Amino acid sequence: MSTKELSPTTETILPGNPDQATYTSENIKVLEGLEAVRLRPAMYIGSTGEMGLHHLVYEVVDNSVDEALAGYATHIEVTIHVDNSITVVDDGRGIPVDEKTLDTGEKMPAVQVVLTKLHAGGKFDSSTYKVSGGLHGVGVSCVNALSEEFDVEIWRDGHTWEQEYSKGAPVSKLRQSGTSKKRGTKVHFLPDKSIFTVTEYNYDTLAQRLRELAFLNKGLAISLTDERTTDPKTGAPKRADFKYAGGIAEFIKHINKGKQVLHDKPIVMEGLRDGVDMEIALQYNDSYSETVFCFANNINTVDGGTHLSGFKTALTRTINSAGQQLGLFKDVKENLSGDDVREGLVAVISVKLPQPQFEGQTKGKLNSDIAGTVQALVNEKLGMFLEQNPPVARRIINKAIEAARAREAARKARDLTRRKGALDGGGLPGKLADCSERQPDRCELYLVEGESAGGTAKQGRDRRFQAILPLKGKILNVEKARYDKMLGHEEIRAMITALGCGIGKEDFDPSKLRYGRIILMTDADVDGSHIRTLLLTFFFRHMTELIRRGHVYIAQPPLFKIKKGKFEQYIKDEREFVRVMVKRASDGMIVRYGAGGASLEGSALTKFMSQLNDYLGFFEKVNKRLRNDEVTGLFARLFAHEGKEPAKRSDFEGPAGTAPAKLVELHSELEKIQRSYQFKALHAPAYDEEHETWSLSFIDAQGAERRIDWTLAASPETRQLLAKFALIREQLQPPFVVEYAPKVAAAKADPEDTDAESAESESESDKPAARRTSRAAAEPVTKLTAQELFEYVIEQGRREYQVQRYKGLGEMTSSQLWETTMDPERRTLLQVKLEDIAETETIFSTLMGEDVEARRKFIEDNALDVKNLDI
Amino acid sequence: MGRKKTLRCPTCGSLVTATDEEFPFCSDRCRKIDLGKWASGVYKISSPVLDPDVLEGTEGEPGQRERRDDE
Repeated sequence: MSTKELSPTTETILPGNPDQATYTSENIKVLEGLEAVRLRPAMYIGSTGEMGLHHLVYEVVDNSVDEALAGYATHIEVTIHVDNSITVVDDGRGIPVDEKTLDTGEKMPAVQVVLTKLHAGGKFDSSTYKVSGGLHGVGVSCVNALSEEFDVEIWRDGHTWEQEYSKGAPVSKLRQSGTSKKRGTKVHFLPDKSIFTVTEYNYDTLAQRLRELAFLNKGLAISLTDERTTDPKTGAPKRADFKYAGGIAEFIKHINKGKQVLHDKPIVMEGLRDGVDMEIALQYNDSYSETVFCFANNINTVDGGTHLSGFKTALTRTINSAGQQLGLFKDVKENLSGDDVREGLVAVISVKLPQPQFEGQTKGKLNSDIAGTVQALVNEKLGMFLEQNPPVARRIINKAIEAARAREAARKARDLTRRKGALDGGGLPGKLADCSERQPDRCELYLVEGESAGGTAKQGRDRRFQAILPLKGKILNVEKARYDKMLGHEEIRAMITALGCGIGKEDFDPSKLRYGRIILMTDADVDGSHIRTLLLTFFFRHMTELIRRGHVYIAQPPLFKIKKGKFEQYIKDEREFVRVMVKRASDGMIVRYGAGGASLEGSALTKFMSQLNDYLGFFEKVNKRLRNDEVTGLFARLFAHEGKEPAKRSDFEGPAGTAPAKLVELHSELEKIQRSYQFKALHAPAYDEEHETWSLSFIDAQGAERRIDWTLAASPETRQLLAKFALIREQLQPPFVVEYAPKVAAAKADPEDTDAESAESESESDKPAARRTSRAAAEPVTKLTAQELFEYVIEQGRREYQVQRYKGLGEMTSSQLWETTMDPERRTLLQVKLEDIAETETIFSTLMGEDVEARRKFIEDNALDVKNLDI
Repeated sequence: MGRKKTLRCPTCGSLVTATDEEFPFCSDRCRKIDLGKWASGVYKISSPVLDPDVLEGTEGEPGQRERRDDE
């Protein structure tokens, strides 16, 4: 047995009235006998298993805690001995030992009454203990009844008193065994092995409850020693000391250990009102779960009760009103709900009150009428705190707003899959033109942008296995400078319903997909690409598995149709178009370049034209910054490098005072043309200290400053321009002279030559009129720039054909659409791969970003057009 | 394309990998929030009408100015 001296302390634990004289046998009321306890132990301590076994300790400790609550005890020592017996020592007043007369007239010491009569004890008299815990209120007599050995030692009034019991019956009389200056009570008991099915104590279980008690009773020191486990080095038994000056605030910190908290210190609210002693602490972390512990007189009220409901009501109200005051609810429609304000909340509510009323067998719910009292305290104290700490208030309220949004989003998400009424025809969307085949792997669903294209597709399809769902991209004009496109709720809903595989964590089931192929068919313009981006992003995010399994495709409608007599050809994109035109035009064509008389023809010419096409495309983009063809050309010529690094920073670097050679050269070239372009100013290369690079700038005729620096050179489109330039540097030497090899040209003379382009041709004054009827008669044509050469060559090709450019699917007839895009025999489909779409996701995220300026810049920098969004 | 990029949860921005259960989201909660955004029409793609070419979708490569030769 532990004989450790408990040091007296002056610390007051709880407001109490330390008037020892009033605690005598008069305060003990005898209510019942003990016999029933051994007969039906589970009725009194819950079980005869592990729970009940540990319960014995709690009952004894609760008595000591009551002494602490009353303001007497400051230390409680609990020891588990090697035989799994328990000793509990406190430094309270000691159980009264004076004689008490029972109702029967029998006389016995008060301690014996406490230990042998059920429901006997000071806790049933609220003048002794204003506040009393105890799990079931059955008292320590139950512990006695269920113990093989039960010894009590009391230090009181300068004496030591001892008595022993077995299975609830005294085996000795209470005796004064000596003198002692200590005060307090020591109880040692060995649970009865004939009663308990489990007799081994669990250290962690006891430690957890004792720690909890220490949190709940600020300043109370509780120790737990396990003599069964000793440190192999020191031989000392395992021991833990629990004492928390911070009380439940430390409890909160303990729970939040390792979590990201929204505010450093728990918010603590304390008060004694209407006889209820309240202590509440709370702290938010960044999780979404709610952790609230509530206690009444140290009992963990797992089912809550009035103290919890009072707290919740006040929390919701106070946070809402603080949010109003701080003006945080501008775009929040409804008030924050209780669930919203409790996301990430960790709170401990501890109330102590005389004669608490509990509900239910387990007493897990507090029934005493104190909701209003708790509510008033929280309203006042939390309100004050939030008012005085606006940064913390903002973080808490914003978290609740986020929770409210998430809840709202989840509600809307549920709406998407909610079944419509019976009138809806089998649940399929009305706009869907379904196919007759029912075997999913043979079916295709075309998601078609626009009603009119949808109509064409419906007519053109093979209705046996092809289904059409027209989707309408809503256009919103938010501002003058913007043009927004979105998929409405109904469109998404129709799509989900048609696909049949559900959506969301619970509902999504790819095996229920109604079509083996989902084919996105959108116009080849910006709008079409936007809708496609939206759709792909949606599939990527919410039907990822369909993409993984290769169900998602993109249709490839042609961009052009060319026709010559009975010959017809569909062309899918502009690159292909240029290739076909150049191939046609270059037949027999010879292009001489530069002064040396070098020339290109045949496949070399075709290849050159294709590279030139790329180059000119980027040329145009870069020229949007410089707004001068010649300057852009000069820039490309001077700064392009072959290989992996087309633009080099070193071209712009140099020590302050010495401009890099290339910039100096560019400057001198610009000086030559300065006058002809009427530059208002041309500045010498200047050193930029911030970036340690050199730059060159000029003011053009319109008064705009144009700058050539590393920022320009490093941009994606400039790098591309320089890379393309490097490939054709050799050939890019104007003037270009176009000639025809006589014999081939004669053979190609074409009487059917269309005059459809005559309007365009007029503008090209340098084109000889004679060429219109026969190339054979053509004189060599001189072109001064690459741009002019390119246009001329394309023109020569395209004048051979009737060219139709499809701006949208709707421009095709249903049979054209079938032939080019939908007929499995002739169409090409692009299968969407997860890796590709991850890229779309990145683009999409940027496009969706909050930062309008970043988005605008992204679109400009990436020259976002149909091509860039193509998968 | 083809570049290996780290993906972030579209809702909260935390890093995700393709093998995550809720990919491309980090959690069911973030998935629901995103789905709710689709359901309420939050996702719009904007084209700035700064460049009329971009808006018209006719920003072709040189030599392919828009025509309807056979109409």
